[in-house]
Amino acid sequence: MVDFGFGLVPSSRINLDLFDKDKYEELAAVEPDVRICMACGSCTAVCTAGKFSTTSLREAIEDIKNAQPTKALELLKACQLCGKCSMVCPRGINTRHLILSIINTYSIK
Amino acid sequence: MTPLFHLLAAQAADPEVIDRIPSGYSHFVIPFTIGITFMLCWIGVGCIRLLYAIPQADRLKFWKSLFLPKTIVKNLKDLFGDCLLHVKIWQRKPLLGYMHSAIAFGWFMLIVLGHIEVALFVPARLNVTRGGLFYPIFYRYFVWMNPGHTTLRGSFFFFLMDFFLLYVLSGIALAVFKRFRSIVLGMRHTTKPSFADRVALYSLWMIFPLRLLAESFTADLSGGSFLTVGVNHFWHFLFGDKLWFTPCWWAYSICLGLFFAAMPFSRYMHILTEVLWILLRNAGIQPHHPRKGVAEAEIYACSSCGLCLDACPMNVQKKNLKYSSVYFIRFLRRHNEKKINAIADKCLMCDKCHALCPVGVDAPALRRAQRATVNNALPYDYSYLASAVSSGQPSGHGRVHSRFAAAEYGLGPAAVPETALTESKSPRVLYFAGCMTHLTPRIIKSVDKVFKAAGVDYVFADREGGICCGRPLMLAGRTEAAAVVIEANKKMIEESGCDTLVLSCPICFKVFKEEYHLAGIKVVHYTQFINDLIISGRLPVQKKEQKLVYHDPCELGRGCGVYFEPRAALNQLGTLVKASKEYDESICCGGSLGSLTLDSRDRSKISEASLDSLLANDPETIVTACPLCLKTFSEAVSNVRGRDINVSVKDFAEVVCP
Amino acid sequence: MKNNILIIGGGPAGLEASAQLQRMGYNVILIEKSPKLGGHLAKWDRLFPDSVPADEVLGGLLRGSEGVKCFTDTDVRAINRLDKSYNVRLTNGITVLSDAVLVASGFDLFDAVKKEEYGYGIYDQVMTNADLEAYFKTGSDRRIENPGRIGFAHCVGSRDEKSGCRSCSKVCCATAVKQAIEMKQAFPQAEVYCFYMDLRLFGRHYEDLYLKAQKEYGIRFIRGRLAEVSENYDGTLQVKAEDTVAGKPLKVTLDLLVLMAGMRPSASGKAIGDLLEMAVEEDGYFAVRSGIAACQRSPIPGIFLAGAATGPKTLPETLADARAAAMEIDRYLTEIFPDARNYKQLVRERW
Repeated sequence: MVDFGFGLVPSSRINLDLFDKDKYEELAAVEPDVRICMACGSCTAVCTAGKFSTTSLREAIEDIKNAQPTKALELLKACQLCGKCSMVCPRGINTRHLILSIINTYSIK
Repeated sequence: MTPLFHLLAAQAADPEVIDRIPSGYSHFVIPFTIGITFMLCWIGVGCIRLLYAIPQADRLKFWKSLFLPKTIVKNLKDLFGDCLLHVKIWQRKPLLGYMHSAIAFGWFMLIVLGHIEVALFVPARLNVTRGGLFYPIFYRYFVWMNPGHTTLRGSFFFFLMDFFLLYVLSGIALAVFKRFRSIVLGMRHTTKPSFADRVALYSLWMIFPLRLLAESFTADLSGGSFLTVGVNHFWHFLFGDKLWFTPCWWAYSICLGLFFAAMPFSRYMHILTEVLWILLRNAGIQPHHPRKGVAEAEIYACSSCGLCLDACPMNVQKKNLKYSSVYFIRFLRRHNEKKINAIADKCLMCDKCHALCPVGVDAPALRRAQRATVNNALPYDYSYLASAVSSGQPSGHGRVHSRFAAAEYGLGPAAVPETALTESKSPRVLYFAGCMTHLTPRIIKSVDKVFKAAGVDYVFADREGGICCGRPLMLAGRTEAAAVVIEANKKMIEESGCDTLVLSCPICFKVFKEEYHLAGIKVVHYTQFINDLIISGRLPVQKKEQKLVYHDPCELGRGCGVYFEPRAALNQLGTLVKASKEYDESICCGGSLGSLTLDSRDRSKISEASLDSLLANDPETIVTACPLCLKTFSEAVSNVRGRDINVSVKDFAEVVCP
Repeated sequence: MKNNILIIGGGPAGLEASAQLQRMGYNVILIEKSPKLGGHLAKWDRLFPDSVPADEVLGGLLRGSEGVKCFTDTDVRAINRLDKSYNVRLTNGITVLSDAVLVASGFDLFDAVKKEEYGYGIYDQVMTNADLEAYFKTGSDRRIENPGRIGFAHCVGSRDEKSGCRSCSKVCCATAVKQAIEMKQAFPQAEVYCFYMDLRLFGRHYEDLYLKAQKEYGIRFIRGRLAEVSENYDGTLQVKAEDTVAGKPLKVTLDLLVLMAGMRPSASGKAIGDLLEMAVEEDGYFAVRSGIAACQRSPIPGIFLAGAATGPKTLPETLADARAAAMEIDRYLTEIFPDARNYKQLVRERW
């Protein structure tokens, strides 16, 4: 078989084949609310840390589902856990615990 | 007393008490001796191990505290009040208090008096080699009363011993009754005893009835008073002259032995650990780990009494009973890591269990420590704070936020009101609203109105949003991360040049007060600040025809002890009615940031319970002084299904300046 | 034989149903709790998607129901179920013996004060969709003074667990697009922003409306829920949302913010439901016999439902629902009701 080597060019495309289902289910078992986000962006809009730094729970959840946990962790590391996002979330997501759970589940320990 | 004793001794020259069994030993003492020896060894080793686990500095602090007159007084007061008389339980639930003090104080007195008797009449027996370990306990078995020579002194002790035995028995009777009908003693929920608990519990129940049995059987030999002699006569009436008493003494000893042997594995360990915990607590030593060191004393000092079950706001739903502090501590003892975490995360951190705990076990602190074991090590990056604080800081002070506003919104400098700190000469007031308050603009607006009405020149520190106070991080157990946030905030506030920092959010208030150590800056909650404005006459207020009820936010009331000022101010504004639970018994609104995992349905059940308490006396307005409570209650009054709640929810400042 | 039919609610559903039932020859009694017929329609100026004047539609409905016995300012005091009929005592003292009851209690607009972070009732420059319609009708509102930047916040009190309403109110997206266009027509210089979570423009011509808003009026649609509103020194508003398409938090200064308050089950409808012990679903709207095959029948024989009493509906849907309810009532009164001997069995089989 001839390998044309296109695979060597890194792709920025989201590759859902890389999605780690077991890990995701592990997260969802700890905080089931990860499933119910409807991506309205309220959390990002009110974020205290977001004033200073790129922080987005909405995007982090998306990244987790798009097999890019490193990006998600990068987006959450500035979080101050102030809880404003939990006050505005229209789905009533337990955001603080979700953030802690994402970091806890996907961080390399 | 002494001269009287001498006089009596002279009257009766012959020995009053004769050592009936010269060897001072009988086989029946074996079970008791084994039990108590085991328990004493256990606690001895435990104490040494525990003190060894405390950091050196804390240990030193502990030893020193034992010799400080102030702590000595406090220790004595607490030991007597908490361990023996159970004053705290008396205050809340008198019958329950009676039960506990009857057993604890009564038993304590029986032991003390028993030893005094031995010391007075057969002092040689106090020596450990001559049976000192068990002799005073079974004193009545070993002696014979010289009938012609009973003195007033002897009768006095007989009376006391019988009196305290009866006292203990009444406590035991209540305890047995409580096991089946706890509500009568004021407890809705009681703890589920473990196996060791049951062994200890049933033997404890049996000890005193058996003691009565044993002592009454021997009362015609060894003497007694109204109780034992009376019962003795009854036995004689029933069984004739021959009383076969040895089995009773055996049973009594076995029960004692069983109790002491089971003690280290049961909740009754608290009887002894409590002493150590009170000493450590009064020495001011904080736990660094949820199980080791001081925490160990703390968790073994928990008596599993279950008062925290009724206190816990989560327990409006029976399914949440398992998350109560008493079970949290039980699982800490059992090292059940998975369950411990789940329980630690669920709690609202309202601190009510701590406030009501008869032994002052600070379970929320233990939960925080437990959360820290999981969350403290998680990565974070707050490097942005350093640049945010330094770049936003102008050469002077106070300008920072106004300048931001001007620059970002294209407003000319003229559009910025001249409230910058540099220009004001009166006390410089900085108002910090906090993250949550930005979602409750009513508070911001009303505070502004109040300040303007009172002519307070102030700067709104986080008009454009600020940095979080750090308390939510601490509540989640992220102590290190919190320290970074606190440092950044502290720098900004200290450099602002203010001398009074006013906070409207109790969550911020607690952490600013306790962790910031702001040099030269007075940190006050707006309820305190506004109350001062009213008292000093700067803020004129008018009493209106309105029925108000005040909700104590957890972090403000139990957290910072601010109960008086908001009520004082509200009394000037309307008629303040009582909630069914208030002050340190106030029920969390359900919106607390403390819980990590409690879901919205459970939270709304708590809100309902809290509302029920507040609505007990039909107020027109619920007043609170916390953005979270305000938002939670505002949502709850309209969302509670199947009922019409006609009450408005207002912020404290909103009531002051409508 | 002329059966008595009581219709509770004089909004579009009640009016349309009464017109149809009257045509069928029934004796219709319509009660309305407020002084005026027409419900929310009477307060609206123009209707999406084609900007038909609301008055025109309401006029048609009123003409159709002429001759119906109608009591305004009247509510239900008590309802007793007799054998088959209902004995209804009204607040005006009249008692009606009715063979069928149609509950067309409609909806209430969500009270935007409850969404405190949007500052309705706190900031001067915040209004609701209903306030804006009133402005269109009367031409005056102290909040509107040649606004340069106008924001529309979709889903206020809809799709929001925090407001106690999970479901979509269905009409607000189209209303917002319509009102945005109308504001742009009134103030051509204004910048208009719509903050939406999902644009739910499902009906005929709705997409055309959306296209027109983009193409002809240059209205900016931002996919992100409005989350925080604060006030600047000069009284303008600063609003925050996330532009979720760009993936960036966003803020903008506005002179006027319009909140698209959603639909909530009507409070007076709930009171009637309590009298009848009628089941409501988790969303607070009345339960129906079957969500597909019998949307106008309540679980109680002889009690019918129409319009927004069974969930948010657009106006054409409400009118169709009312006509369907009229048909259902007719079927009940001709097939089931008259057969006194087999009534119970028929109810079991056909209700």
